[in-house]
This record gives sequence, C-alpha cells and structure tokens, in this order.
Amino acid sequence: MKHFKILFAIAVLALTLAPVGAQDVTTVSMWFSEGSTLDCWGPIMLEFNEVDPSVQLEIVPQADTWNVTRTAVAGGGGPDIVRTPGPSFVYEMAQAGLILPMDTFAESMGWGDFFFDWALDLGLVDGQLYSLSDELETLVMYYNVEVFEEHGWTPPDTMEELNALAEEVEAAGLTVFSHGNASWRPTNEHFVGEYWTQVAGPHKVYQALSGEIPWTDESLVGAIELLDAHMQAGWYGGGVDLYFTNDGVYRRTSLAEGSAAMNIEGSWAIRGTVDYFGESGMTWDWVPVPSHDGTDYYTIGMGNTSSINANSPHPEAAAQFLTWYFSPATQGKMLTNCLKGPAPVAIGADVMAELDPRIARLYAELSDASANDRYGYTTWTFWPPKSDVYIYEEVERVWTGEITAMEYSEGLQELFAEELAAGDIPPIPTR
Amino acid sequence: MAVYVQKKPTTISEKLADETWRRKFLRNVLIPWIFIAPLLLLHIYVVTVPAVQGIYMSMTDWKGVGQNANFVGLENYRELFFEDETFGKALGNNIIWMAFFLTVPFVLALFSATMLSQIKRGGMIYRSILFIPYVLASVVTITIWKNLLNPQRGIGAAVDNILGLEKVFGIAYLGRTESALMSIAFIDNWHFWGFLMILFLAAMQAIPPVLYDAAKIDGANRWQEFRHVTLPGIRPVVLFMYMMVAIWSFLAFDYIFLSTQGGPGGASEVIATLLYKNAFFRFEAGYGAAMGVVISIFAGFIIMIFVTLRRRGWDI
Repeated sequence: MKHFKILFAIAVLALTLAPVGAQDVTTVSMWFSEGSTLDCWGPIMLEFNEVDPSVQLEIVPQADTWNVTRTAVAGGGGPDIVRTPGPSFVYEMAQAGLILPMDTFAESMGWGDFFFDWALDLGLVDGQLYSLSDELETLVMYYNVEVFEEHGWTPPDTMEELNALAEEVEAAGLTVFSHGNASWRPTNEHFVGEYWTQVAGPHKVYQALSGEIPWTDESLVGAIELLDAHMQAGWYGGGVDLYFTNDGVYRRTSLAEGSAAMNIEGSWAIRGTVDYFGESGMTWDWVPVPSHDGTDYYTIGMGNTSSINANSPHPEAAAQFLTWYFSPATQGKMLTNCLKGPAPVAIGADVMAELDPRIARLYAELSDASANDRYGYTTWTFWPPKSDVYIYEEVERVWTGEITAMEYSEGLQELFAEELAAGDIPPIPTR
Repeated sequence: MAVYVQKKPTTISEKLADETWRRKFLRNVLIPWIFIAPLLLLHIYVVTVPAVQGIYMSMTDWKGVGQNANFVGLENYRELFFEDETFGKALGNNIIWMAFFLTVPFVLALFSATMLSQIKRGGMIYRSILFIPYVLASVVTITIWKNLLNPQRGIGAAVDNILGLEKVFGIAYLGRTESALMSIAFIDNWHFWGFLMILFLAAMQAIPPVLYDAAKIDGANRWQEFRHVTLPGIRPVVLFMYMMVAIWSFLAFDYIFLSTQGGPGGASEVIATLLYKNAFFRFEAGYGAAMGVVISIFAGFIIMIFVTLRRRGWDI
C-alpha cells in the first residue's frame, strides 16, 4: 500500500509537470523561400533557439513564399512572422486586420533604440506600427575595373560625363550597361526610379509622391525621355529587343568578363557580383549612379518587411524573435556572413571593419546620404501597388515606341491620383 | 367480358400507394441520385460554390486580402469592356492564339498521324519521340526554348556563325513586339501537337480497314482515301478537340507568363496573364474575377456552338 501511494504520488507529479514542461516551449514559425539565401540565413536565424530555450524558431521552407503566405494568412492560418515584399503590401494586410499593430512591443522591447527613426515610420499604417523593414537597398553603378583601366576611363559623376563615356564604350565595341529583364520583368522600374531621382532630383520625386506636383512635370517627363533615349541608343544590354531577352546570367557574366563596362543594379547584387568576378578573375568596384548635377544621390528601398500574424497564438514570442533578429548584432552577423542587406539599424563600426572595404563604403555612403538629405525613393517601396505595376509594365511601351514619355506620365498621373485620393500611398519619409 | 384497365396513379398519394410506381421511382430516380449524391455534393462544394462566389466577387471592389468587399454592380465589367485598353489588346491576342492553335497543330497532327498510321514496324519509336515534349513540365520546355531562341547563344546565333551572317537568324524572337506572341505559340505548340497526333492516330486505327479496301477497289488515291475515309472516320475526335482547343486558348497562361510575362510592352499579354497581374500584383481581385467570368462566358459560348451543332445532327 505504501509503495502504491509513492507510485501514485510520482504519477500525479509527472502528470502535473509534463504538460507544464511541454507548454513552456513556444514555437514561433516563419516561412522562407527555399534556396541559397535560406542556406546562409537559416543557420544564423536558428541561433535564436539558443538564446531562450522556452521560445524556439521554426523555419518552414516554401516556394513562392509571398503568395503562399498571404493566402494562408487570409484563410486564418499562416506563420507567426508574416514577411511581405515591401511596405505597400503591409498596408493592404493591415487594412484587412490580418497583422497586428506592434507599438506596445516596440516600446517594451526598445526597437526605437536600434532602428533609425525614419525606418520605423515606414511601418506605420494609420499611425500604428505594423511592420519592421528589412534589407536596406539602394542602386549603384558597378563597373569592371580592368576594362576601365585598359581604356583609361574614369567612372562618371554626371549624366553629361556618362554620355561622353558611353560613346567611348560603344566605340570600343563594348556594351555600356550589362542589362536585361528576361529573368525579372520589374527590373524596368529600377531605371525609371533612378532616372527620376538622378535627372529630376529626389526633391521633385518627393513633391510628386506627396501630390504637390503631377508626374507630368517637365523635369520628371524629361527623365523618362532621357531613359528612353539611352534605351534606344542600345546602352542597356545592346538594344531594346536584346534587353527584353537578356537574363540574369548574361547581366553578371558580361560585366564580370568585360564585354560590358558597367551595370546599374541594386546593392542586393553584391553577392552575385562577388561570385561572378571571383570566377572571371577580374575586379569590380562601384560608384553612385551619375546625376544631373554631380551630387551623389542614393535611392532607398526595402527588400521585405516582417509583421506579426493576427492569428498568431503567441505574439509576444514572435516579437521576442523580431527583437533578436533586428538587433544590430544579428544583422551585422548576417551582413558579414551572407552579405545580406542589413535592416535599417545602427550596425557597429567593428562589424563594418570586417567587410570588404567596397561593401562597407556602400553602406557608409548610404547612411550618410540618408542623414544628409541625399536620398531618393525606390518605386517598389514607396509607390502604391497599381502605380508600381504601371511603372514597370507600361514603360516598355515607351521603349517599344508605342507611346511617348508624356503619355506614359499622364497614365501614371491618372492612376497615382486615384491611389493618393484613396489613401493607398505607403509612408514616405518627410524631407 | 369485363375488361379491367389499371388506372395510372396521378396524385402524389395515389403514386405512393402504388407498388409498381414506388419500385420504378426507387430504381429509376432515387437509387441513381443516392449513388451520384456524394459526387454531386463534392462538386457543389468545390466547384459550384466557388464559382458563384467568383461571380459575386466580380461585382465587388475586393482587393484579394481580407474580407472587405463593397458591391459595385457591373462597374468592373463596364471598365473592362469600355475603358481598359489592355483588356482589349489581351482579348485580341487570345483570338490570335486561338487561330494559331486551331490550325497549325491540327495540320501537323493530322499529317503526322496519317504518315505514322502507314508505318507497320517501328512506329512506336516515332510516336514516343513525338509525344515526349507533351510530358515535359512547362517550366522545363520554356527554359529549353528560351536558351534555344536566345539571340546570343541560341540556334539562330549558331546558324549566323556558320553562314557568316550578322544577326539574320540570331535575333531576339521573344524580345520583339512583332514576334513575341507567335514565338511563344510556337514553343507551346512544340509541346502540344504530339498529344493531338496521338489522339488522331488512335482514332484512325479505329476506322475499319475494309473501308480503305473498298476505296482502293473504287480507284481512290491517297488523298481521296484521306478525304473520304480517314477524315469522316475521325471527325468526332477532331471536332471535339476543336472545341477543347478553342476553350484552352482562352486559358493560355503558363507558357506566356514563364517566357515574357506578357511583354514586351504588352505584345504577348492575354486575358489570363492580365487577370493574374490584376489579382495578385495590383490588388484588384474583384476586377480580376470579372476577367475570369468573361473567360468562362467565352468558354460557355464555344460549348454552346458545339452543342447546337450536335443537336442539328452533326456527328460530334
């Protein structure tokens, strides 16, 4: 009887404690695109599981992650951490009540201490914080150092210098910019955004985004006309028709092997550039995209955002992971190990010192530009969805001669005005 | 002699009281419905309800995210037909696509099936070779052909190199507005026509050989045999495939989206690619649903034509 009582007591104790032990571990789920990015990011993100054994991250690889995520979230499921391709997508989800406002977490977990002020503002919808921006991006002009040295060229600062250089590049039988959109059609918008910023200037773009001036403003239309002229001259990939069939492999190999001199591309391309130049044995470097007056303007963009699913049973645990993930230490590690574009957080000088000086310079310049009013706007981050699709789809009709730059701008103005009136414009950092 | 004529039950109570009627009802009505009920319920759940929802959504401004959807009546349809130039262009491309697929693969498949039906030994090898492209995934086919049609490293560039020409064959077939749509149609057809050929070949093999013997006795040549024996023999299959291909032409999506995404400059845009962009890129799911309904109406119209012809005695 005595043994029975002891066994009974042990059994009761075990039954009481076992569920408590199981409940102590909270799993935070995150869906992520399969591929080489996850191969590098994944192990670093899973280091979170060593920080607090009671909260564990689970990464679920997915194909076509964004479409899978929004379908699942809309259906009442999905991961705890909802990643979107940019702030404009957050707006729609927040309006639909699919993601949680995170202001209380931001305050209690001190997100404002390490995020840049303007970066947190990007996640605001109707005054509440719904997302944290990740992967700070900009566009720069990469060039092949050996090709430039061989011909005695220097990288251009102004559009005028670029014109003169392009003539020399073509005379040397090379392609000016190794480009094409066969792998990713929205590539088109990179150039539209850059030409608006570099030719008309970021202040004009800001005025248009704020609705103060129309997109048919002379300076903005002039930028599209100049882009079209450069396109027709065959600067981009060797010709308009070739631009439409040149893929990502062409873009990287032609620059790395020296059949093209330059390439205007995003900071996200650094990793590929390092790999391809590593194979060709040539040297790459970068300069800011030439502007009309020689000022170094950098368009700012965000590669993706993170939010907390409104259906998440444990939003605090999700916020705990976000705090760790966006910390300067984690972002610094992902930058040095994977060349991941960092979140807009203050990364320490020690981390930057470990980087290739060209990459460190890029982020230092970008930081300096954002602090000194030399920043512009990338279309996929700051334009509403319909206008954004219009920008990269319809510009092809300008390049194929179907419509003029003015007609293109008029179409955009009409659409943008509708979205502006509907309040669909993502938050824009004020100047 | 009295003649008893059994009175047929007319009212419900008489019918239920009548044993024969009850048995007939059970055998001819109730049991078939019981058997078909699970499938019918499943169909209602996965097809009918979503279809009705889709029609309703096409009359809303639903963004595709969340539950907010305001009823806008026929506004989406008005915009589609009277304002949206892109839709008109996409519809035109669908019609060009249909015209291509109702001619080129049919001619190729009929010709090849006729030739293959004559082969007595080794025919299976040819059939397999011609059918293989059909079992390839669209993404594989497109990847292969994007490389083959690449102006720098494709077949055209190789031909130019051999002949010493400068960009005569090595041109950007998918990058030119005048050739993009037809180039994709060519690629899709490369994958599709083998399937059509196998169907026609199977139909030809079902034609009784005595008909060919009789034709030969009557002095028919090869063309006359084809025209008066083969074609009438496979007519139901050909016409059925005509109907299916016409419907499929309005559903064309994967080859176009994987190769050009409707570009350059909308030159290869079709309704399905436009629908996808509106629903998933522009957050206009209600408008996209209206396009989906229009595609269904076109398909219904095509089916109606064939049903009408069948009722008029056509052997379809």
